[in-house]
Amino acid sequence: MFEKSLYDLIRGLRNHKGSEREYIQESLRECRREIKGQDMNLKATALLKITYLEMFGHDMSWASFNVLEVMSSQNYMQKRVGYLAAIQSFRPDTEVLMLAENLLKKDLTSPTPVIISLPLVAIPHVINPSMANSLLSDLLPRLTHSNPAIRKKTIVTLYRLALVYPETLRPAWPKIKERLQDENEDPSVTSAIINVVCELGWRRPQDFLPLAPRLFDLLVEGGNNWMAIKIIKLFATLTPLEPRLIKKLLPPLTTIIKTTPAMSLLYECINGIVQGGILDGSEGMAEGEEIARLCVGKLRSMLVVEGDPNLKYVALLAFQKIVVSHPHLVSLHQDVILECIDDADISIRMRALDLAVGMVNSDNLSMIVETLVRQLVNAPIASLADDTSNDRGMHGGVEPLAESDDEDAEESLRNREIKSNKPPPLPEDYRINAIRSILDMCSRDTYANINDFEWYITILIKLIKACPSVNTTGADDTEIGAQLANSHRDISYDIGQELQNVAVRVKSMRPEATAATQTVLTLDTHGQFFPASGNGGQGVLEACAWVCGEYAEYLTDPDAVLNSLLYSGGEHLPANILAIYIHAVLKIFALVCGNQEIAWSPPRRTNLTLLMAKIVYFLEPLAAHPDLDVQERAVEYLEVMKLASEAASGHIVAEDGDFAGPPLLLTQAIPALFTGMELNPVAAGALQKVPLQDELDLNAPINENLANILKQADEDDSMEDVQDSFLQFYNERPESSAPTPEAAADRLDVAARQEATSYQNLSDDDRLDPGAAAQKRAERRDRNKDDPFYIGQQDDDYSASSRLHNIIRYTNGDDLDIDSIPIMDLDLEARSGSGSRTPLDHNRPRKAAQRKRVEITSEETIGGEDDKSRSISRPDMARSLPSRVKKSLLHIDSSGLGSLSLEGNSRYGELDIEQREAEEKALREVERLRLEMQRASERIQAKEESVVVRKKKKKAKPPVLDVEEPSVVDQGDGVVKKKKKKKKVLDGAEGGESPSLGFGDGDALSTPEVKKKKRRVVGLKEEGSGG
Amino acid sequence: MINAVLVFNNAGQPRLTKFYTQLDTSVQQRLISEIFTLVANRPNSSCNFLPLPPLLAASSTSSAKPGAPTAQHNDTPSLITYRHYATLYFIVISTSTESPLALLDLIQVFVEALDRLFENVCELDLIFNFETLHATLGEMIVGGVVVETGLERVVEGVKAQGRVAKRPVNESGVGGRLSGLSGAFGSQNTVGPVWTGR
Repeated sequence: MFEKSLYDLIRGLRNHKGSEREYIQESLRECRREIKGQDMNLKATALLKITYLEMFGHDMSWASFNVLEVMSSQNYMQKRVGYLAAIQSFRPDTEVLMLAENLLKKDLTSPTPVIISLPLVAIPHVINPSMANSLLSDLLPRLTHSNPAIRKKTIVTLYRLALVYPETLRPAWPKIKERLQDENEDPSVTSAIINVVCELGWRRPQDFLPLAPRLFDLLVEGGNNWMAIKIIKLFATLTPLEPRLIKKLLPPLTTIIKTTPAMSLLYECINGIVQGGILDGSEGMAEGEEIARLCVGKLRSMLVVEGDPNLKYVALLAFQKIVVSHPHLVSLHQDVILECIDDADISIRMRALDLAVGMVNSDNLSMIVETLVRQLVNAPIASLADDTSNDRGMHGGVEPLAESDDEDAEESLRNREIKSNKPPPLPEDYRINAIRSILDMCSRDTYANINDFEWYITILIKLIKACPSVNTTGADDTEIGAQLANSHRDISYDIGQELQNVAVRVKSMRPEATAATQTVLTLDTHGQFFPASGNGGQGVLEACAWVCGEYAEYLTDPDAVLNSLLYSGGEHLPANILAIYIHAVLKIFALVCGNQEIAWSPPRRTNLTLLMAKIVYFLEPLAAHPDLDVQERAVEYLEVMKLASEAASGHIVAEDGDFAGPPLLLTQAIPALFTGMELNPVAAGALQKVPLQDELDLNAPINENLANILKQADEDDSMEDVQDSFLQFYNERPESSAPTPEAAADRLDVAARQEATSYQNLSDDDRLDPGAAAQKRAERRDRNKDDPFYIGQQDDDYSASSRLHNIIRYTNGDDLDIDSIPIMDLDLEARSGSGSRTPLDHNRPRKAAQRKRVEITSEETIGGEDDKSRSISRPDMARSLPSRVKKSLLHIDSSGLGSLSLEGNSRYGELDIEQREAEEKALREVERLRLEMQRASERIQAKEESVVVRKKKKKAKPPVLDVEEPSVVDQGDGVVKKKKKKKKVLDGAEGGESPSLGFGDGDALSTPEVKKKKRRVVGLKEEGSGG
Repeated sequence: MINAVLVFNNAGQPRLTKFYTQLDTSVQQRLISEIFTLVANRPNSSCNFLPLPPLLAASSTSSAKPGAPTAQHNDTPSLITYRHYATLYFIVISTSTESPLALLDLIQVFVEALDRLFENVCELDLIFNFETLHATLGEMIVGGVVVETGLERVVEGVKAQGRVAKRPVNESGVGGRLSGLSGAFGSQNTVGPVWTGR
C-alpha cells in the first residue's frame, strides 16, 4: 500500500523531527491527491488526516465538498470521519452546506441509532437559519425515539436550532416540555432537558415559571448533582419573578447545604441563594437569618480551608455577589478575604482585589492599599520578552511537532504533573488592575475614605514604580490589537491625574503635592521613582509637570526643576507630555524672573539671560516637532523668550547702590500670562448646565459681516483705510473711475501688492486716522468685555481673573489645566506674531496688533476648545464604543431568542413547519380533487380509446392546474411564500408529465411517474403526521 | 453553556479542539496559544480557573464585572476552567451559566471515560485515536450543552460506535512504560477529597 493512514502520518511526523513543516506540506499534497480519487476508503483516510492537521491550523476549507462526499458514504466508519470533518471545518457560510441538508435529513431518519447521532451532534456546529427551518420537521420526531441517547441529543440540537432561528422553538417547546413532565423519562434525558431549560431560562424566565413545580420535585428527589446544580441556577432566575418560591425553596436548599457531600452542589446552593435574591427576600424571617448565616459561614470555611485554591476562588466569587447587597455581612469576614489578596495565585488575587474594592471603607483602606502597594513594588515586573517567547502565535503557525518527549507522552494521565513552583511575575493586567483599584478605592466619593492625604501622595508616588511598561510601538494594528491597546492604556496617566487632582482640590496639600512632584521630576532622583527598566510610569510626568508649573510658588528648588525639565531629553517624550512641559518651563521661568523686588543687577541679568538661552535651546528643536500642539507652543514661547532676552539685554543695569527695576516684560508681562484666578474643579457636564440667557439667540449670526471682520482683522490697524478701499474695490461695482474691466487675476495681484506694501509700511502712519481707530478700539473693547477669550489691553484694567473665572464656568472641568492653556496662547501668539513682524519696534504697533490678533484667535480658540473637549472624552469613547459594538469571540447571540415568547401566539414570520402543516392540508385537498378528477377521467376513459386519451392529456392539463391553484390559495391564507412553495410542488408534478392524468391511463410511459407521485404524496403525509 | 473544549499538551500542541461557536482556524490557533501561555505559567498549586486571555477579555471588559447577571454577560464566555493531567491540559471555556466546580468534575468524568476506553490512558492514545477522543466528547457535550455526566453511559455510547482501537504496540518504542502506574482514577479524585459530587 502506498497511501498513509492517520497512524502513518502521525508516526511519520514523529520520525521527521526538525522538518515537520516540509513533511506536513508533502502529506497535504498527498491528501489532496487521495481525496480526489474514487476509492472511498482512501478518501476517508485522507480526510481524517486533513482533519487532524486542521487541528494545528492548516486550513481545510478547500476540502468541504469532499467532506460532503465522505459524509454520504454508506460505511459508518467513513461516515463518522466525514461528520467529524464537517464539525471541525464547516462554518455557517460554507457553501456546500446547502447540499448537506438532504443528507442530514436522510441520516436523521436512519433506523440505526449511531447513525442518527452523527447528524444530531453535527447540526449544532453547522446550523444556519434556513437550515434550521427545514431540519426542524425531521428533528421533532426524534424527540420520541426509543433510544434515550437520541432523545437527549435531539433536545440539545433543537436548542441550538432555536438559537439561530428562535421561531423553531415554538413547535419544539411543547414537545420538550412533555418530555420534561414525563416522570418515566430516562433520568439522563431529563437532565439534558434541564440543561437546555437552564440555558433558555435566563433569557425569558417568565416563560418557565409554570415548570416550577416539576423542577422543585426534581430538586427534592435529588440523585443527579449536575442536574440539581442546574435546577438551582434556574431557580435563581425564577425567584425574582415569583417571590413565593423563596419560601418554598428555603427548606430544601438548607437541607442540601447541610447534608450534601458534593462541594460543587453546596457552592451552587449558596450561589443560587445569593443570586436569586433569596437573602433579600427572606430577610426578617427566622429561616432567613439562619440561611444567611449558614451561607456566609460556609463561604468562610471555603476560604480558610487549606489546600484547595478552587474553593477559595469560587468563595470569593460568591462573596463578590453578596457584597453588592450585604456589605456588612462580607466585612465580617474581612480578615480572611484580605489574606487572599496576598495569595500566591493570581486568579485568586484578582478576585480578592475586586472584592476588596467593594468592601473598602475608611478604616481598612490604608491596610488594603498598603498590602497592594507592597505587593506591586516587590514583585518583579514581567518583561515583554517573557510573554512573547511563550506566545507560539508570534512565531508563525503551529506545527504538530514531533513529540520531543515521547516518554512524557506515554505517561499515564493519572499522574498529576508537577510543574515548577516558581511564582510567576505579576502579569501586566493584574498590575494595571491593582493600580486602578487603588486609585478607585482612594478617590471614591471625592476622597471620602482618605484621612491622610500626605499618605495618599506617598502611595501615589510609590505606585509610579510599579507601573508596567507600555508598548509604544503600536505594531499591532489589527482590530483586536487596537482594542487591547485601549484597554491597556497607560495607567501612569491615571496616577498623574490623581496627583493633579489632589493638588487642585486639596489646597492645604499643595505644598506637599508640589514637593512630591518636584522630586519625581528632578532628574537626579528619577531612578528612585520609576521602574528600573522599560518606560513604565512615564505618563505621570504629564501631571507632575503641570503641578510644578501651576503651583510653582511652592517649589523649593525651582531652578533644579527647570533644569530637569529642560534637560530631560524632552524630544523623546510623548507629544502630550512635551506640550505640558513647555508650559511648565515658562511658568517656572515666570516665577524665577518675576520678582520685582530684586534689583536688576549684572549678576541677575547674566543669570536670567543664561536661563533664557537654555530655554531657547530647549524650545528651538521643538519648533519643528511633528506634533502640532508642541510645535505651536514651542514657536510661541520661542518668540516670547526672544522678546524677553532683548528686553533683558536692552534694560539699564543698576549701578552700584542704585535700585533699578528689572524689565517690566519679565516682571509683569510674562508672569501675568500665568496668574489669574485660581483653578477650581468643575463637575463634568457643568457646561451643559449653564443656563441659556433669555436674550441670547444662538441662531442669530454673531456678526453679519463676520467674514469681512475676520479678513480685516488679519491685517493691522494701520491698514484699515487700505482695507476699506480694498473691500470697496472687491465688493462694489467699479464706477466710471475704473472704466476698463480687469481680469480677476490682476485683481489678485493688486491685493497681493497692497498687502505687501502694508506689511512693509507697518510703522507708516500716514494713512491711519487716529481718531477713528481709537473709537473702533473702544467699541471693540466694549464688545469684548465679557468675552472670555478676549484679552484686554494692558493699560486697561487687566481682567485676567474674570477671564479665567469665565473659563472655569464655561469649560468642562476635568482638564482645567489644559483648558486654561489656550487662553495663554492667545496672548502669546499675539505677542509673538507682532514680535516677529517688528523685531525692533515693539511699542505701539504691538499693542494694536495684539488687540486685533486676539479677536481672531479667540474665534479659533472656540473651535480649538471644542476639539479639546472632544479629545477629553475621546479616550473613554474609544475604549467603550468598539467593545460595545464588537461581539466577543465565541459569543453566541441569543438576543432573538430573548424576544421570543413561548406562551404568546404572535405569528410573525411563520415557520417552515407550520407552513408545511398548512401545505399538507392544502395538498390533501388537492389530492382529493385530483382523485375526483381521476375518477371522472376514468369514466371518460372507459368510453374512449387510449389514443384519444393521450391526446387529451395535454388539453386536460391546464384545467387541472386551475382547479388546484385556487384551492391552495383558499387553504393557505394567501401568503405569498406559501404560494411559491405550492407552485414548486405543482411544478414538480408537471415535470413528471402530468401526473393528474397519468393516474388515468395505463400507458407504459407514465406508469413510473405515477408511482413516483404516489410515493411523494405518501412521504409528505408522513411528515405531516410527524410534525 | 460551554463554548469550547480544548486539550493540549505541555508544549502547547493541540490534541483536541472543539469549538461550539465556529471560529476561523487562525483565530482558533491564536486563542489556543493565548490560553496555553496563561496556563503554562501557572504553578501547580494555583486554582483551576484562568483569567480571560486577551482575545476574550478585550471584548468582555466592557460588560460588567463577573457576577452582574446581565443578559449580555450570560452569552459571553467568562469562565475558563482547566485541569492538568500528566502531560495534558484539559480546558473548558464556558459562560457564566455553568458552574465552575461542576465543570472541573466534568473534565474529570471525561478523563475517566477515556481511561476506561483506553485502559490506562496516556497522551499517545489520544494522539492516535483522536476520532475516539472526539466521539467521547460527543457523548458528553452536544452543541455546548452537557448531555451526559454518567461515566458508564458515556463509555457505553462510545463503544456502541464501534471498537475502540488500542494504541499500536510497537509505538511505545521506548519500552513498557505503561506498567507500574498508580491506582485507578475512580477512587483518586486528583484535586482532593473536598468535593466529590458531579
